[in-house]
Amino acid sequence: MDIFSNLWLGASTAFMPMNLFYGFIGCLLGTAIGVLPGLGPTATIAMLLPITFGLPPESALIMLAGIFYGAQYGGSTTAILINLPGESSSVVTAIDGYQMARNGRAGAALATAALGSFFAGTVATILLAVAAPPLAAVALNFGPAEYFSLMVLGLVASVALASGSLLKAFAMIVFGLILGTVGTDVESGTPRYVFDIPELYDGLNFVAVSMGIFGICEILRNLESEHERSVGVKRVTGLMLTRQDIKRIIAPVLRGTALGSFLGVLPGGGAMLASFASYAMEKRISPNRAEFGKGAIEGVAAPESANNAGAQTSFIPMLTLGIPGNPVMALMVGAMIIQGITPGPNVISDEPALFWGMIVSMWSGNLMLVILNLPLIGLWVKMLTVPYHLLFPAIIGFCCIGAYSINNSVFDVFVMAGFSVIGFALSKMRFEPAPLLLGFILGPMLEENLRRAMLISQGDPSIFVRSPLSLSLLIFAVVVLALVLSPSISRKREEAFTE
Amino acid sequence: MKLKRFMTIAAAATAICVVGLQPSHAQDYPTKTVTVVVPFAAGGNTDTFGRLVAEELDKRLGQRFIVENKPGAGGNIGLGDLARSKPDGYTIGMGTVSSNAINQTLYKTLPYDKEKGFAPISLIASLPNVLVVNPDKIKANNVEELIAFLKTEPGKHTYASSGVGTSIHLAGELLATKAGVKITHVPYKGSSQAILDVVAGHVDMMFDNIPTAAQQVKAGKVKALAVTSLGKADLLPDVPTMANTIPGFEATSWHGLFAPPGTPPEIVEKLSKEVQAIIAEPAMQEKLKAMGVTPVGNTSAEFQAFIDKETAKWADVIKAANVPLQ
Repeated sequence: MDIFSNLWLGASTAFMPMNLFYGFIGCLLGTAIGVLPGLGPTATIAMLLPITFGLPPESALIMLAGIFYGAQYGGSTTAILINLPGESSSVVTAIDGYQMARNGRAGAALATAALGSFFAGTVATILLAVAAPPLAAVALNFGPAEYFSLMVLGLVASVALASGSLLKAFAMIVFGLILGTVGTDVESGTPRYVFDIPELYDGLNFVAVSMGIFGICEILRNLESEHERSVGVKRVTGLMLTRQDIKRIIAPVLRGTALGSFLGVLPGGGAMLASFASYAMEKRISPNRAEFGKGAIEGVAAPESANNAGAQTSFIPMLTLGIPGNPVMALMVGAMIIQGITPGPNVISDEPALFWGMIVSMWSGNLMLVILNLPLIGLWVKMLTVPYHLLFPAIIGFCCIGAYSINNSVFDVFVMAGFSVIGFALSKMRFEPAPLLLGFILGPMLEENLRRAMLISQGDPSIFVRSPLSLSLLIFAVVVLALVLSPSISRKREEAFTE
Repeated sequence: MKLKRFMTIAAAATAICVVGLQPSHAQDYPTKTVTVVVPFAAGGNTDTFGRLVAEELDKRLGQRFIVENKPGAGGNIGLGDLARSKPDGYTIGMGTVSSNAINQTLYKTLPYDKEKGFAPISLIASLPNVLVVNPDKIKANNVEELIAFLKTEPGKHTYASSGVGTSIHLAGELLATKAGVKITHVPYKGSSQAILDVVAGHVDMMFDNIPTAAQQVKAGKVKALAVTSLGKADLLPDVPTMANTIPGFEATSWHGLFAPPGTPPEIVEKLSKEVQAIIAEPAMQEKLKAMGVTPVGNTSAEFQAFIDKETAKWADVIKAANVPLQ
């Protein structure tokens, strides 16, 4: 079987000591920032991008992926112990998890979260391994025309990403597209919006922009509302689950995994939506629904499995098509471009070691997280006592070093600073930064492929509909657009995000 | 009065000292760390050559030679930095065919004085390109057949490049002007994506750097018609040269070491001798040849003459092909 030889290749990459090490660092960091409220995986990955330049692509992406799913674990630890969800995806875990902790069952809640997540992670990894190769088979047929249509689909889908108003999401995408046009035009070599600044000839630096708009901006927002966190944690005892517990969580874990895997693949889905949806579902169908809100173990098992499954399967569109479904995946696409890898269907055939290595590392990373999380709970809780006003100057310092080291250029530090202000202003006006980043990443690829396709067809636009692959992608994009704009769906979408 | 006289004497003495010290200063060179500016990102060809040579200079001259990458704007940012640094031999830098022979014509403004240029130390290595075609799209087994084929279908065929104004792009323009054929240029960002589209048949042909293209040729994905160096290339010994069909056709990507304008000739001379000796070492020769590269190593005057010839050649191509200036 092909899949076994592929997984074997992946295992030989993922289990290299260096990659295990970076995977471990990623999980550890991810858990740490998951524990700290305020700092999310998007901000952390944005800040750490410069560090990954010197690493081989496999190690770099394995580490960044580790941060992402590590954060899902870390977030639930504090949600359960002190009712303070470190991550948006663990908000619902806090409802029943904290009640369990108050009833003296913190250990059982933590174990449920860890085991449910591990199971979900394993299933989602297998799903990723099975789903990817069929998609890769069409890879070589992807020429400029097909890439253009794929990017159109990606941009349309990214509208669904925004949780606020549709109009604002469109505005942000367009803003991102415009930012993406800065620099030397690939086709004619004409400089655009460079104002005779040589540093702008290669465009705005993706890392500097995302560090400003996600990293520094998030710190500014947090500094605005520094509040006292009282940490009063009882000793965690009894990590073992009783036989009755196990019986009660099997079905919710399975349902959570299935729902999370499905929602993760959808653009704009991912971990947060998965956990909310699966909690809502359990609350309706569980035989113990009366206990929900008072410490029902199902209320921990289901959303925790779902958020981890969703986190994992959100890699599917990114790895197989190069379409980022959420901000973290957008950053991963950026990291791949920096490493000289063109994200898209070609990745599986051109970089099999990278692709399969990442898939296997997700499983090994999940295993590490189980081992890491249960014994280190005391440490994580202690970390919460570090005051923010001490933490933040250090983080900003690291950000400046990181931005400078991209090109050894002070200009990029200013770009980062400028975009942190823009990001802060946008967040005050309730504009989401994620669609902006997607527009910024997809825009240049969209334009390049459009013009390249037109060059190849000698100016005949029918090239986009003559290729069946391109045509079907465009039709799909139109369908998605129609769905997003249709009143009933958009109402549902708002409900999903406000719940 | 006394003070003024003292000042005059002191100034004169200082002047004598400075003048007297200068030659010995060059002999002592280097007495502190030397920065080697690489105007391209770490990991690329220019960076690799820069690091290889810096490491050996380090060993031979007993001072640290530290590579600093200053990428951006086709090498112009790093070279601007180099031009502005003190011409004392403690900042030197790498330059390439694009940054030191093509950009001069291609860019309307450069962040340094075009006339003053740089003090060339030595050419390090040159990389031939190879003309590869997609066998399903181009029915030709050699350059004559290719030219004949292109003439039957003018403007219908495309060639890929790693970007506007790169040596890969201009090699295509050189073919078009010298052979009198009409082909459409399809630029990419970097050559890896471009060669993939030639392999898949989205674009018909391309001049590509030999190390990457040779793999695709050996895998039988594309057909190699000719190399762009005057002599045959070690990595593809069976492939004839372009000059075989079009006399004088040469389009290589070369990489050399430069000092800022006004650097004392003694220092440039000293560095040039060392670089030539480094490149002549058998171990270095082997290392470079394994990369598909032709090691060179020449004197400052030879390098300058080469640059002048290259600059004039590419200026003609850019003008003849009407490449828009940046």
